[in-house]
Amino acid sequence: MSNYLFYILSFLSIFSALMVVLSRKPVHSVLYLIFCFFTIAGHYILLNAQFLAAVHIIVYAGAIMVLFLFVIMLLNLNAETEPHKPLIIKGASVVTGGMLLVVLIATFKSAAMSVSSPEFNSDLGMVESLGKVLYDQYMLPFEVSALLFLSAMVGATMIGKKEI
Amino acid sequence: MNTLIAIAGIGIVAMIADILRIRKIIFPVAMAGLAIAAFTAVSDWNTNTRYFNDMMFFDNYAAAFSLLIVVIAIIWFVMAVPDLKTGNHYSDKSALVAFSLAGSVVMVSFSNLAMLFLGIEILSVSLYVLAASNKNNLLSNEAGFKYFIMGAFATGIFLFGVALIYGACGTFNLQEINAFVATNKSDLSGQMYTGVLLMIIGLSFKIAAAPFHFWAPDVYEGSPTTITAFMSTIVKVAAFGALYRLMAGCFSQINEWWTTVFIILSVVSMLVGNIMATRQSSFKRLLAFSSISHAGYMLLPLLTLSDLTGTSLLLYGAAYAFASIGIFSLVSVMSENDDESIDSLNGFAKSHPIKAILFSVLLLSLAGIPPLAGFMGKYYAFYAALKSGNTSIVLIAIISSLIGVYYYLQVIIAMYKPTGHTSASFRFTIYQNIVLWTCFLITLILGIFPQLIIGWL
Amino acid sequence: MESLLWIIPVLPFIGFLINGIFGNKVPRSLSGIIASVAVLGGFIVSLLLFISLLGDENLSFTSKYFTWFHVGDLKLDMAFMVDRLTSVMLLVITGVGFLIHVYSIGYMHDDKDYSRFFAYLNLFVFFMLLLVMGSNYVLMFVGWEGVGLCSYLLIGFWFTNNNFNDAAKKAFIMNRIGDLGFLLGMFLIYQTFGSLNFDEVHSNAMTYAYGQPVLTTITLLLFVGAMGKSAQIPLFTWLPDAMAGPTPVSALIHAATMVTAGIYMIVRANVLFTLSVFTPEFIAVIGLLTALLAAFIGLKQNDIKKVLAYSTVSQLGFMFVALGVGAYTTALFHVVTHAFFKGLLFLCAGSVIHAMGGEQDIRKMGGLSAKLPVTHLTFLIGTLAIAGLPPFAGFFSKDEILVKVFASSPWMYGALALASVLTAIYMFRLYFVTFKGQFRGSHHQEEHLHESPPSMTFPLIVLAILSALGGFIGIPEIFHAPNLISEYLAPVTHFSSSYSARAVSHETEIILLVSTLLFLLVAIWFVYNKYVKRQAIPEPDEDIAGFGKTLAGKFYVDEIYTYLIEKPLNAISGLGYKFIETGLIKGVVDGTAQVVGALGLGIRTIQTGKTGTYLFAMVIALIAFMVIKFMI
Repeated sequence: MSNYLFYILSFLSIFSALMVVLSRKPVHSVLYLIFCFFTIAGHYILLNAQFLAAVHIIVYAGAIMVLFLFVIMLLNLNAETEPHKPLIIKGASVVTGGMLLVVLIATFKSAAMSVSSPEFNSDLGMVESLGKVLYDQYMLPFEVSALLFLSAMVGATMIGKKEI
Repeated sequence: MNTLIAIAGIGIVAMIADILRIRKIIFPVAMAGLAIAAFTAVSDWNTNTRYFNDMMFFDNYAAAFSLLIVVIAIIWFVMAVPDLKTGNHYSDKSALVAFSLAGSVVMVSFSNLAMLFLGIEILSVSLYVLAASNKNNLLSNEAGFKYFIMGAFATGIFLFGVALIYGACGTFNLQEINAFVATNKSDLSGQMYTGVLLMIIGLSFKIAAAPFHFWAPDVYEGSPTTITAFMSTIVKVAAFGALYRLMAGCFSQINEWWTTVFIILSVVSMLVGNIMATRQSSFKRLLAFSSISHAGYMLLPLLTLSDLTGTSLLLYGAAYAFASIGIFSLVSVMSENDDESIDSLNGFAKSHPIKAILFSVLLLSLAGIPPLAGFMGKYYAFYAALKSGNTSIVLIAIISSLIGVYYYLQVIIAMYKPTGHTSASFRFTIYQNIVLWTCFLITLILGIFPQLIIGWL
Repeated sequence: MESLLWIIPVLPFIGFLINGIFGNKVPRSLSGIIASVAVLGGFIVSLLLFISLLGDENLSFTSKYFTWFHVGDLKLDMAFMVDRLTSVMLLVITGVGFLIHVYSIGYMHDDKDYSRFFAYLNLFVFFMLLLVMGSNYVLMFVGWEGVGLCSYLLIGFWFTNNNFNDAAKKAFIMNRIGDLGFLLGMFLIYQTFGSLNFDEVHSNAMTYAYGQPVLTTITLLLFVGAMGKSAQIPLFTWLPDAMAGPTPVSALIHAATMVTAGIYMIVRANVLFTLSVFTPEFIAVIGLLTALLAAFIGLKQNDIKKVLAYSTVSQLGFMFVALGVGAYTTALFHVVTHAFFKGLLFLCAGSVIHAMGGEQDIRKMGGLSAKLPVTHLTFLIGTLAIAGLPPFAGFFSKDEILVKVFASSPWMYGALALASVLTAIYMFRLYFVTFKGQFRGSHHQEEHLHESPPSMTFPLIVLAILSALGGFIGIPEIFHAPNLISEYLAPVTHFSSSYSARAVSHETEIILLVSTLLFLLVAIWFVYNKYVKRQAIPEPDEDIAGFGKTLAGKFYVDEIYTYLIEKPLNAISGLGYKFIETGLIKGVVDGTAQVVGALGLGIRTIQTGKTGTYLFAMVIALIAFMVIKFMI
């Protein structure tokens, strides 16, 4: 069962990710992106990480992407103002992307993915166990990421502030 | 660890200084904070402490690199303070600088790949904004934007690598990865190797090694000069510290495998950087290309890991950074005239004879003329590479450093040429004078007593 | 005595600091005196050292100051070593250097950058002393690079002139090519012997058998270094161009001291050179070719300093031939005498130029003997010395070289004798055209002709005396007098002399001596006829034709280099510029506007960016790396 779910979700997430890039209208891109996030949340659930799935939807699909939508709507971007990409670039990008894909597949083909299957524990992805890891083992990265957000915030304010 | 706290403290004070209307204290606080950071880095010497479940490991290399970064930062701050003060964002910019310094300290003392990633991100995010901090200048905006796009791309590659390695070994911890690699040395999966390659590539973006250097000339040229100085010195030292730590800490067992990658990176960087630099008319762009070539030289000691690797990286980094900051103090003066072309230096020697000599010395140090620090750095780097038997690479390095002499000399000659039609006046503030003399003295002293750095490790 | 060593280099360095830092704040009268006294102090100490070395032949002073650096098994000390070889070099550098400093006080009198000049000059002396006093190859290399730098600074001293700057750059770059060889040689020495100290390397090398390939490689690389510094084929073109600098600089750096650094280095490393196959022959051939080529070019030059410059190149060739045949002490003997007479000739030339108000073309001089009596007489002595007429200094050293060369190869002797005859021809041509005949300059110049001030003539006289009598320190064996210099230097080349003990009989030596002399006299007589009797004047540039034109054009070596090296290099970098900067990046895509627009960040004004292509290139590089690492 979960095997089929995995393949369906994977197909959907790859498809929607491609559409993000390919669709002409920015609004459509954002909508596809939101959809993509949902499918990834589905993967999280498959991986038994329910909390992460929920957070992912709330933060990315809920908050960030809605903000994106607003921005795009406010700036009134649409297909006409989009500069036309020459065909040669499209061709080159496709070729390069394809090459990267082939190369990656070639390297992974030989790779025996080391499957470490720990004992199944349905509580693993819950808030409690996550919190224990986060505030115990990964205490320092958690704190240091505060610095990252702080610098991003200061940067955003600085860029956004109107020059007087 | 305490170094990190002290530096983060500066950032927080600087951040709120604007709100509390105490902007005047930023500079003193920054100086004091950096001094404390330097002191704590020294006091961490020989302690070899692992912090918070082995997230950070302050061994001697971490302490030495942190100290170097802090010292460069002090000099940089003195140089940059007049520039930071102009405009409305003194406190924002200072805070961002402090944060990115914190990021670089994390980068040289991590013991867990998650920490490395965070360090790189803290450093980069602040820098994206700083590169664009001259908001009225289109070029600066462009620089920030380009840096952001390409940096995000590089981060993606890097993160992919980290994920693959986690998938292969099931851990982020350097020691555990190292143990994993050591025990499974003969049958490591392709996944692991791909991960290593992607991480190297992600980091070579940060050190601006060719062929991942494309962002550097544009970003260096567009960013405000002081920020360019920051990028080409502190960021480079931190990224090399991280690269060394990563390769020595995790993957020393599979050294033969990744040596070829470094050889290609190094040779291409040296050639591209040096050859392209000869063609530049803008001093800043020239320095950008020269910094690419220096990345190539600094990769030489990494070809084979030995006792010499860290030491020679440190020495080279110091020699390069101090000479660069001194030279950037000249560029920042040129930027005030809105003319960064090499030709605008004509007549410089006439109006500032002593400064012309000092700058010539710094440039010659970058070119690697004994007995200056740059020569010692190159000597050690080449020596380390030679010891690992890469004679032909060293030959290429020496030849390309020969090309290097050519364009550094061009700048010196430009300074000694008589004034052309434009007679730019160069106004040095007291800050820049201090920086210039300090860098000059350090360059000289390190050239004569490189033991000061290498004697320790 | 050891405790005195540091004084020698430190004094000029102090002089440099005083003149360099205080610059024009030092009174003009004082800065020259400070500089000269600093060098004189060095000379006095050197003399003391020399005397104390006279006694014991194995004595050498070493003084270690601190460990310079120490990595792994490589340990280098900041240490000075003075043995007999060094002490001879010290005397030449400080002695001739002092005289040239004194001369400069007068010569540079009207220059506004007086103190800067002396600062550079002192710095040069400092580095030169470092070069000869260092106790290991690295320290020698530091001095080696340092003198190159100072030479660059001094050639470009009058930086207002662009040609001068180009000359300076050329000198520096050619020297760097040589340095590349030196550096590689140094690395190889370290790899082979595990040390860079002279003592250890050389005593270690003595245990090697003759003809080890590694020794040949090392010595060839070192010789490439010497080629650059001592202006040998193919790296000689910088030296004539270097005449752009002030004349005292030409005398000090480009005649007496720096250019002989290559010879010093080879003598210092004579153990290595003696033990290697091929290298000595190679050195001899290169030296011979240089001596001949430069002598030929010298025949047709009309710039007084250019003639002297080519003659310097030629004389350096003589020294290298001597080194090549294993006559190390002889080469050094010629270094000493050459320092005397070439220094003298350059200073005389300076005095002439000074009197002529900056004119350097000998076709516009003539008949100067009456107006410049001291200069004339001293120049004549210098000319006689360089031409190799007895009993002047050049005779003894050149004769010794010729004899030694004959012992190893008669045909080489013939070629070298030809070069020495050519030397006499162009030197006497220079002398006659400049000092004899009618004055051919402007009326204005004629009125202002005057003998130089005493500060300039005093060094001329001292050097003239040395050029006249200096040769007696190395009297040939046939006169049954002790050859002082060769005895003094014997310990230095003790090892080598046991290897190459070829000698000619006294009769042959006398025949050689007399026949060369005869040739010289005939040549001089011929020149005298042409330029004094028939009052011929060298033709203007446009009238020169045939082989003469090739000579005047310096065999077009510069043009060949431009064509072979500079053009392709420029083409490559131009190509890179075109393709990578503009072609590849701009051509494939013309902007980031797409990306910018897509992200809608409102920075849409940036149309010129090329981020898309950058990313493109990065991905391609990434793929390339993966292909290299995983598929090949």
